[in-house]
Amino acid sequence: MGWRWFHQWGSPRWFYERAGRWQLVCGWLALILLVAGSIWGLGFAPVDYQQGNSYRIIYLHVPVAFLAQAMYAAMALCAVVLFVWKMKLADVAMQSIAVMGFAFTVLSLVSGAVWGKPTWGTYWVWDARLTSMLILAFLYLGAIGLRAAIQDPDQAGKACGILVLVGVVNLPIIKYSVEWWNTLHQPASLKLTEKPAMPASMWVPLLVNILGYYIAAAYLVLGSMRAIVLERERRATWVKELIGRA
Amino acid sequence: MIFEPAQIEISELGCERDDRLLFENLSMKLESGQILRVAGPNGAGKTTLLRTIAGLFDIQEGEIRVNRLPLKECLDQILYIGHKPQVTRDLTVLDNLKFLTGADEARLKSALGDVGLKGYHDSLVKELSQGQGRRCALARLWCVEAPIWILDEPYTALDVEMVETLDAQITSHVNAGGICLFTTHQLPQQLDYQTLELGHVD
Amino acid sequence: MSIEKRMLARELKLIAARPGDIFKPMWFLMLVISMVPLALAPDSDLLAEIGSAMIWVATLLALLLNTEHLFQSDFSDGVLEQWLFLDRPLAWLVGLKLIAHWLFHVLPLILITPIAGLMLSVPTEVLFALLATLFVATPALTCFSGLGAALTLGSSRSGILGVLVMMPLFVPVVILAAGVLIRATDGSDTLPLMALLGAFSVVAATLVPIAVSAAIRLNIGGSN
Repeated sequence: MGWRWFHQWGSPRWFYERAGRWQLVCGWLALILLVAGSIWGLGFAPVDYQQGNSYRIIYLHVPVAFLAQAMYAAMALCAVVLFVWKMKLADVAMQSIAVMGFAFTVLSLVSGAVWGKPTWGTYWVWDARLTSMLILAFLYLGAIGLRAAIQDPDQAGKACGILVLVGVVNLPIIKYSVEWWNTLHQPASLKLTEKPAMPASMWVPLLVNILGYYIAAAYLVLGSMRAIVLERERRATWVKELIGRA
Repeated sequence: MIFEPAQIEISELGCERDDRLLFENLSMKLESGQILRVAGPNGAGKTTLLRTIAGLFDIQEGEIRVNRLPLKECLDQILYIGHKPQVTRDLTVLDNLKFLTGADEARLKSALGDVGLKGYHDSLVKELSQGQGRRCALARLWCVEAPIWILDEPYTALDVEMVETLDAQITSHVNAGGICLFTTHQLPQQLDYQTLELGHVD
Repeated sequence: MSIEKRMLARELKLIAARPGDIFKPMWFLMLVISMVPLALAPDSDLLAEIGSAMIWVATLLALLLNTEHLFQSDFSDGVLEQWLFLDRPLAWLVGLKLIAHWLFHVLPLILITPIAGLMLSVPTEVLFALLATLFVATPALTCFSGLGAALTLGSSRSGILGVLVMMPLFVPVVILAAGVLIRATDGSDTLPLMALLGAFSVVAATLVPIAVSAAIRLNIGGSN
C-alpha cells in the first residue's frame, strides 16, 4: 500500500478501469441483498401488532433515510480530501453523491409520506424526521445548484466544497433544533448501540435491506463517477481511444 | 523615495486553465531597476501570469519568492493594477483613492494633478470618461509606496501625453529601486525594458 | 488612516451616495406585511397569533434579498481583489464589511418592525421579544447571507441562488427565535433561549467570515 496506492487515486484513468469492476461486484451484491431482504421483509416478516402490514414500508424508508444522511457526510469527507490532498476524484465523487443523495432524500420523503397516510391519516406532517429530511433535500439542492451555476469545474468543486463543509457542521445543529421543535415522530426503530424495539424476525431483514441499499448506492455513485470522469477527461487520448473502440 | 533592493524569484512556474497549458517550467529572476514586458498573442496567459505573480491566482506548480520570502507574506509590497476599473462608480475620485491608498488628502490631490485630473477630486467616477477613470486608477502609482508594480494593460484609453507621463513615472520608480512588470499591445517608446514572450505550449 | 477606519468611511460614503439602498428592504417588509391580512383575514385575533412569525419571516427575506449582492459590484469593479493587498487578513476585512452592512442596512430594517407589529396587532411583550430576537439573530443571518453572496460571485445569472443555498442553514436560528416568541406570549422565561441564540450568533460571526473569505479568494482566482 503506501503512497503509490494513494497516488493511483489521483489518476482518473486508473479509477475508471478499476471502478468498472467494482461496479459489477456491487451491482450483483446489491441485487442479491435487496431481492432477499425485500422478499423477506415484505412477505415473510411478522405483522406488526400496532400498524399491521403498512409498517413494511420501513424496509424501503429506513435504509433510504439513513443513506440520505450518510451521503451528505460522505460529501463532506470528499470536500476535505479535495481541499487537503487536492484530489480531483474527490470532486467527481462529490458531484455524483450530490445528485444520488438528493434522489435518496426525495425517495425517503415520498416513502415517508406513503407510510404516513395509513399511520397518521395524512401524507405530510411536520414532525422532526420528515422536516429534517426536507431541509436535507434543500441542502443537497443547494450543492447541485451551485455547481451548475459555476462554469469552471475546478472552481465549482471548491465552491461546493465550502458549501458542503459549512452545511455538514450545521447539520447536527439543524437536526437538534428540529427535534426540539417537535416531538411527534415515533422513536427511532433502530439504534446502533441499543437493543432494537423490534423482534429479530423484523430487524434482520431490515439490516439486509440497509446493507443492500448502501451497496446499491455505491453502485450508482461509481457509475455516475465513471461517466463524469469520461466527460472531464474527454480530451485525453485514453478516452478518445475508448470512444473510438466503442 | 528610494527602495531597498528587491528581488522576485520565480521557479518552475506552471499553469493550466480551461484545459489549456499556458506555461510550464517558467523560471526567472527580477531585480531592482528592471522593467519586464510580458508579451504574447491573445490568450497566451499574460494576464494569468501577472495575476499569479500578484498573488491573486493560486500557484499550481512551482514557486514564487519575493526577497526570499514566500509570495503570500509579501502582498503589501505589490501594487497591482489590472483590467478592471478598480474604482467604485458611485463615489468621488478622492474617496476612491482614500480607501485604496490610505494616503492623506494633500498627497492624493497632488497625485491627481500629476495624472491630469487636477480639480476632479470631487467628481463622481461615473461622470468621468473612460480615460479619466483609468487615470484615477493609475493615480495610485503616485502615492503608494510599494516596490513592485504589476500593471496589466496600463496604457489602455490613455492619450499620448498621459502615456509619456506614465512612462516617466515607471522609469523614475525603477531608478529608485523598484521593479515593474507590465503587458501592453502598444509598444512603449520611452521605456527601457526586457521582454518575456509567452507562446502557445503544445 | 487605519484600514478599519477607511472601510467604515467608505461604507458611510456609499450609503450617502445611494440612500435608496437602505429603504428598499424596509419597503419590501412593509409590502409583505400588508399582504398578510389581505391573504388571510382582517380579523385582528388571527393576525395577532401569527403576526410575530410573519414579521420574522418577512424580515428574514428582506435581509436575504438585500445581502444577496453584497460583494457583487466591488467584485465586478475590481475593487474587491484590492482587499487582498491590504495589510489585514481577508477574513477580518470581510468581518468589517459584514458588521458595516449589519449596522447600516439591517439595523434600520429591524427598527421599523414595531410598525409592522402594530399593523398586525402583535401584543407588546411579544413585540419586545421580536425586536430582541431580531437584534441577536441577524448578525448570524447576515454572515450566512454573505457566504451565499460570496459563493455566487462571478457566476452569471445566478439569480437568487445565493439566497437559496443558505436558507436551510437559517433553520436553527428561526426555530430558536420562534421559541423565544412563544415563551414571550406565555410569559415564561426567555433568557436561556436568548442566550443560546446569542451564542450561535457569536460563533457564526467568528467562523463564517473565514468561509466567506475562502469563497471570495476562490472567485477572484477564477476571474481575469
